[in-house]
Amino acid sequence: MIHVEHLRKTFTTRTGRFLSAGRRTHEAVRDVSFHIPRGEIVGYLGPNGAGKSTTVKILTGLLVPDSGAVTVGGLTPWQDRRRHVARLGAVFGQRTTLWWDLPVIESLRLLRHVYRIPHATWQANLTTFTDLLDLGPFLHTPARALSLGQRMRADLAAALLHDPELLFLDEPTVGLDVVAKERIRDFIAHINREREVTVLLTTHDLGDVERLARRVLIIDHGQLLFDGDLARLQAAYGSQRELHVDFDGPVAQPEVPGLTLLSHEPGRATYAFTGAAADPIARVTAHAPVRDLTVREPDIEATIRRIYEGDLLRAGIR
Amino acid sequence: MADFRHHLTLYLRLLGAQIRSQGAHRTSFILDALGSLLITAAEFAALALVLPRFGGLGGWTLSEICLLYGLAELAFVLMDILFGGFDAPNLSAHVRTGSFSTFLLRPAPLTLQVFASDFALRRLPRVLLAAAIAGYGLTHAPLAAVPETAALLTAAVLGMICFFGGLFVIGGTLTFWTVDSVEAMNVLTYGGRTLISYPMDIYSAWLRRTFTYLIPAAFLSYLPALHLLGRPLPDGLPSWAALIGPLAGPLVLAGAFAFWRVGVRHYQGTGT
Repeated sequence: MIHVEHLRKTFTTRTGRFLSAGRRTHEAVRDVSFHIPRGEIVGYLGPNGAGKSTTVKILTGLLVPDSGAVTVGGLTPWQDRRRHVARLGAVFGQRTTLWWDLPVIESLRLLRHVYRIPHATWQANLTTFTDLLDLGPFLHTPARALSLGQRMRADLAAALLHDPELLFLDEPTVGLDVVAKERIRDFIAHINREREVTVLLTTHDLGDVERLARRVLIIDHGQLLFDGDLARLQAAYGSQRELHVDFDGPVAQPEVPGLTLLSHEPGRATYAFTGAAADPIARVTAHAPVRDLTVREPDIEATIRRIYEGDLLRAGIR
Repeated sequence: MADFRHHLTLYLRLLGAQIRSQGAHRTSFILDALGSLLITAAEFAALALVLPRFGGLGGWTLSEICLLYGLAELAFVLMDILFGGFDAPNLSAHVRTGSFSTFLLRPAPLTLQVFASDFALRRLPRVLLAAAIAGYGLTHAPLAAVPETAALLTAAVLGMICFFGGLFVIGGTLTFWTVDSVEAMNVLTYGGRTLISYPMDIYSAWLRRTFTYLIPAAFLSYLPALHLLGRPLPDGLPSWAALIGPLAGPLVLAGAFAFWRVGVRHYQGTGT
């Protein structure tokens, strides 16, 4: 569905006034390649300014890259804009595609004409989405009067009325409460399963990723650092478990042979270890009297932070 | 052909949405309408009150000036309604808020969506006032009885709509690079409108020549008006120059849209 080969994009910003103008270049995307088959949900992660939104802009046809080949369903996005965008849907968390002052239903009607959706298809989709996303209570409310969660649901429906093959989601759950997040995640999982819609999900909310994506792409400084299963990411980079120990009183020597000391304060220490917990626990209890112990599992958030911070895979495992 | 029909109905539908949206803010709509009507009315009233005291302006009577003024105002306001989406403040707001990206993400022609993104219905009262002023000029000025009168007047209005529309498109396109240039463009757009609202021979030669040969504003309505009033054209121009003069408008508009395409390509290169 999506093929990206050796994608590069550099931005030039002018500095200073126009006579003494200097130029600074910033490589937003450096030699990024990946393929996404039809029907997959892929989480696209990276810190702010890593090159995520530049990639998404190129894939949606908003931006033309400096070099590299991109095809989406056989089309080059920026060369065949209208045919390309007719087959994709996009929801950007911070802004809406709905007509601000018009009732939601009117926006959805207008989109029927913009996308030239056959009336029967439009009607069937509207009924389905109204049901799944519970749009009924606010179909006749102007977009500007919707809550954030309602607006996001309406935007999701708007992006899918024309049966797109590909859906771009940018921070679809940002700012929502737990219940609203869950409803949106369920809906995305549903349309992916039932309609084989390919989904590229950029988000800072790792809950979205854990719930929806089997595969993640991690980008930082314009370079793709990781492309693979979430499970493999955990196994390869999240393997450090943590042992939190409360000693029975202050301990003069917190270092324990065979364990990595992460932090300590009088009477307390945190160690990192890999594999089973029995051996490290035995070593600690042999070292000094212990009142309490907890083993903390690595979470994906910590794993990804470690990748961003710790140059763990500049070379990359592809 | 089917495509053209689809695009026309889509344009009208999007305009309809635009107009219904304006209905959501009824009070500000009415105040805007009254305000813009008052500006034209006050500007013209000052002219109409002062002019008879001096027995005319550079040999032009009030009714003759009404013809020029009314046509220019009529065309400019109609243009402002039609091309509002390209007006630099509107377009740069679309770019800034991301609705321009939304246009690019929809499978409809970009220019169609920009055209449909603003439709200042609140200017309608000004259209009526301008038409009344032009109508007064038409009925009271000593027009030569020539068969091409109606066609030439229509062409003059259409030419001016295209010309000022082109300036709007150029000004809007410039905002892809910088918003600083907008003021400079306003000198041409609003200055040009004021300039051709009055007989060009009251200006000094350099100004008149600049707005005749460099910026072809004089061709749009001034030369046709001279022709219809049976007056000689300036600089020894042949009388057919008055007949084809309004074509300067579509030429400027075509050039403006070529520049627009360059601007959109620049936007897609930098993703402002």
